Amino acid sequence: MSRRSNNIPLFEGVDRVAVILYLLLVLSGLTCITSVSFEDATITDFFSFSHFHIKQAAWACVALVGALTILLLDSRYYHMYAYYAYAIGVILIFGTVVLPDSLARPLNGAKAWYTFGSFVIQPVEFTKITVALAVARLMSNYNYSISKLGDMIHVGFIILLPLAIIIMQNDTGSGVVLCSFIIVLYREGLNKWICIPLIMMAVLFIFSFLFTPLFLLMLLVLIFTFCNAMMIGHWREHTIFIAAIAASSFLLYGASALMLEEALSGYTCLVITVIVAIIVAAIYAFRKNISAIFLSAGLFIGSMIIVPTADKIFESVLQPHQKLRILSFLGIMSDPKGADYNVNQAKIAIGSGGLFGKGFMEGTQNKYFVPEKETDFIFCTVGEEWGFVGVAFVLTLLCLLILRLMKMGERQEEPFGRIYSYCVASILLFHVLVNIGMNVGLMPVMGIPLPFLSYGGSSLVAFTILVFIAIRLDASPRNGLMRMG
Amino acid sequence: MSNNDSYVRQSILRWIVISIFVIIACRTGYLQLIDTQYKRMAANNVLRYEVQYAPRGEVVDRNGEFIVQSKECYDLMVVWRDMDKQGFDTMRLCNVVDISKEKMVRELKNARMTPRAPYLIKNYVSQEAKLRFEEHNYPGFYTIKRTVRQYPRKIGGNLLGSLGEVNDKDIKNGGGEYKMGDYIGRSGLERAYEKYLRGKDGVKILERDAHGAIKASYMDGMYDTLPIPGKRITSTIDVRLQAFAEELMRGKIGAVVAIEPSSGEILVMASSPTFDPDDMVGSDRGNNYMRMLNDVQKPMFNRAVQAKYPPGSTFKLVQGLIGLQEGVLTPAHAYPCHGGYSYGKKKMGCHPHASPLDLRNAVAQSCNAYFCYVFRDIIENRKYKDVKEGLDKWVEYVNSFGYGRKLDSDFLDEQRGYVPDTEFYNRIYRGSWNSYTVLSLSIGQGELGCTPLQMANLAAIVANRGYYYIPHIVKAIEGQDSIDRRFYEKQYSGVDAKYFEPIVEGMWKGANVAGAGTSYRAYLPGWDVCGKTGTAQNPNGRDHSTFLSFAPKDNPKIAISVYVEHGGFGASAALPIASLLEELYLTDTITRPQMVEQVKNLPYYLPRRYQNVTKK
Repeated sequence: MSRRSNNIPLFEGVDRVAVILYLLLVLSGLTCITSVSFEDATITDFFSFSHFHIKQAAWACVALVGALTILLLDSRYYHMYAYYAYAIGVILIFGTVVLPDSLARPLNGAKAWYTFGSFVIQPVEFTKITVALAVARLMSNYNYSISKLGDMIHVGFIILLPLAIIIMQNDTGSGVVLCSFIIVLYREGLNKWICIPLIMMAVLFIFSFLFTPLFLLMLLVLIFTFCNAMMIGHWREHTIFIAAIAASSFLLYGASALMLEEALSGYTCLVITVIVAIIVAAIYAFRKNISAIFLSAGLFIGSMIIVPTADKIFESVLQPHQKLRILSFLGIMSDPKGADYNVNQAKIAIGSGGLFGKGFMEGTQNKYFVPEKETDFIFCTVGEEWGFVGVAFVLTLLCLLILRLMKMGERQEEPFGRIYSYCVASILLFHVLVNIGMNVGLMPVMGIPLPFLSYGGSSLVAFTILVFIAIRLDASPRNGLMRMG
Repeated sequence: MSNNDSYVRQSILRWIVISIFVIIACRTGYLQLIDTQYKRMAANNVLRYEVQYAPRGEVVDRNGEFIVQSKECYDLMVVWRDMDKQGFDTMRLCNVVDISKEKMVRELKNARMTPRAPYLIKNYVSQEAKLRFEEHNYPGFYTIKRTVRQYPRKIGGNLLGSLGEVNDKDIKNGGGEYKMGDYIGRSGLERAYEKYLRGKDGVKILERDAHGAIKASYMDGMYDTLPIPGKRITSTIDVRLQAFAEELMRGKIGAVVAIEPSSGEILVMASSPTFDPDDMVGSDRGNNYMRMLNDVQKPMFNRAVQAKYPPGSTFKLVQGLIGLQEGVLTPAHAYPCHGGYSYGKKKMGCHPHASPLDLRNAVAQSCNAYFCYVFRDIIENRKYKDVKEGLDKWVEYVNSFGYGRKLDSDFLDEQRGYVPDTEFYNRIYRGSWNSYTVLSLSIGQGELGCTPLQMANLAAIVANRGYYYIPHIVKAIEGQDSIDRRFYEKQYSGVDAKYFEPIVEGMWKGANVAGAGTSYRAYLPGWDVCGKTGTAQNPNGRDHSTFLSFAPKDNPKIAISVYVEHGGFGASAALPIASLLEELYLTDTITRPQMVEQVKNLPYYLPRRYQNVTKK
């Protein structure tokens, strides 16, 4: 039997640093939510249950009870019931899609919530936990190998199934979180030549709206030549290569202007030159037997194909409000009262904080102008009321927690615990990157909460469970054999 | 996966995490510590700008009597967030400010959408209601003082014009002068003198603290501005005359315009049917506006400056003057008239009178045939290549009398009327026409169209013997030495002063010698009234009745034109109205009450297009 039943103290082996970081984050969140609840000078009943901060405090208590329960449960259960949990998680999110509106009321265009009277639950927050468990269970199988195609498809399926359903819910923001599992796959040995193109696709997708195709192509040529030079040396040849491309593009442009009725566009000239250059480079690489050039050339051609495709996807797949938000993020549409409004007000609130902030409950921007101030834009309150000092504090806490989770994963001998810890770390990292990123105008606006700080019962409880399962797994005896016995 | 590879991946991931956090921290630091624009924008966010509305300028008549006054009224505003939601008694507030419960509930629902912004619940709250409101305490509700128009004499609806709330276009074109909820002159004098009447709103900048409560005046009111009231305008209108004109025109359709010839000041401008300007103010404005818009008699159509009426026989004055100037006519020249003017198989009819007549008598008797001869002589003049060139010359003269073009008065919605030219006839007759084709122009019929203002201006030109001042409605603007300089410049017609005498004498004779002309009813003993009747045929129904007059003959004080649609003979409807107005203006009394009665009870039949007014 497990050691838990043998009078081993409850907190034996529990990572205190992680717990303290967690508690500090929840307290910071409560402070900020308290501040924004008091936009009204007339309200005197501090403890009224109608305030966000009291509700959130109640939820924090629920979360703590949940955390204790998790610490009490045997760690083997998570491994044992991972697939069942996964199935339940998928059914839960699928339920919101098929159930009538009376049980799953659409909010803000997304049909992603269960409603029980005034009580609302967002199942996707819990689905993240079950997906993490399932991924950990699958990948910790003894003969699982990420480099085998079948296994790769298997784990891909586990991640993409809920993602597809979440997109059906019209809640793309929450779904994209699952993409962060690429970090876990990378850690577990996924070929970097799969990771790099995937990440590059995402980056290119965003950049394809920011720059003109000609500029993007020039940028790509420069980056890839530079990377290639980094890999194989021969800096002089690469410089000549770039110069040759530039010169022949100009020549082609000039020649077309003289000989044809209408000169070719700069983009067409560059494309033609680049294609010729790639062929030349390929022949050169084949002769000299330098395989790295093929890699760069392949990636480059891939990128050239993605850029125009991104436009198509953008036009056909995304919802109007998603398009607007992405465009607003990229600064393409600047409409102070439209899609840009939220981000602008958020930036104003944060920017007005200065070094030390305005002090607790003294913020004005966050209360009156920032929409969703208690949920998606809670970071504004940190920025405005506590200034850069507060921001640095919260960022440090989050960063340390993520690094701690990674460390906790690495020190476990069981792959299940390690993979699960990495899953938690990547989910947290993604949330932080996107949420704070959108608050400070680095990321498009997506409706996903800041872990532990944003108001919302589902998200607080779900993140607590997520983290505490990792802590529980880490607290299990370091000796894997004992656990198996 | 080897241990070494695993270690590399671990540390790469660790560095990725750290670099993401560093990037976010740098960005936040940039926003908070380096870029100052967000602090500035934050300051703007926290300030509340409270408008201090400037009272609009008032309008007085030429004798200093108020025509338009500004009355205090209030906008009831609410800030939803500050409302006392529990103890709020909707019904009581509704009673206090005279507002229906449904409207209040609806408006509060809207106010809830923008909980922090002041929301307008009701405008035009009266002063009494505001005082009642002050006695109670309604947190979140407050009033803003504004002014509305008030019309003590209830006259001159079209003349004075009305105000409306600005729309997006006005705001865009206003160059920052206007904001949502402001009023702007929409027509008449309000529109033309908007710039002076408007004044300048002030602003009070308030700062709110972290709880949203108003803390104090921002920077001790350093940036506050006081409202600058609009300028008072002295109009050229004589309210007594204007009211009398509107009274006489009541029930009839048409327009009266009277001008002081020596200055171009408009004494009366009555367009009938008119409306009570007070109807265009306050909360019933929308309903009244729609009612008038659907009225087939078009009360909002300012006939005095916008209608296109055939001038009828009054145009014979112009014809005679051009003939004299062109040298094709001498005052002593007599033409026969045997019941009209025959040409080919057609005949331009005329009423029975002695024959032949010279110019003076032809004017007095309003002989059609005489002016057919004159008109043909003008446009068939050998001086010109052909009739077409002759007509163009004629058009040039007619334009110089103010017809067929805008007079450039201070009515922005003034219309130009219409004078047909060679090009027009070439188009409709495909180039083949002659003086007979256009003969109806000789007696002011045909395609001619002119506004009552242009006709009154003709009276002024004749009164002045050849020149006019641009008619205008404003005499003085508070704080300014003069009005626009164009109103002080003599505008000459194309006819020399010496040619006016026979015409004036003809007009005098018509009104002063019994049996010698059509205008004898306009006789005022001792005032040497000069007049010319007109009866204009039209395709819609009975003839239009018009009368053009000035008095006295020497040093004229008033020039007037009256136009009554479907009023019959010029002498039956238009003449008595003009005569009574002249009498009132010149003598301050009315000695012919039976004439007033006759005008008011005039048998009057409107064609079908003006009927069914009461249709709901």
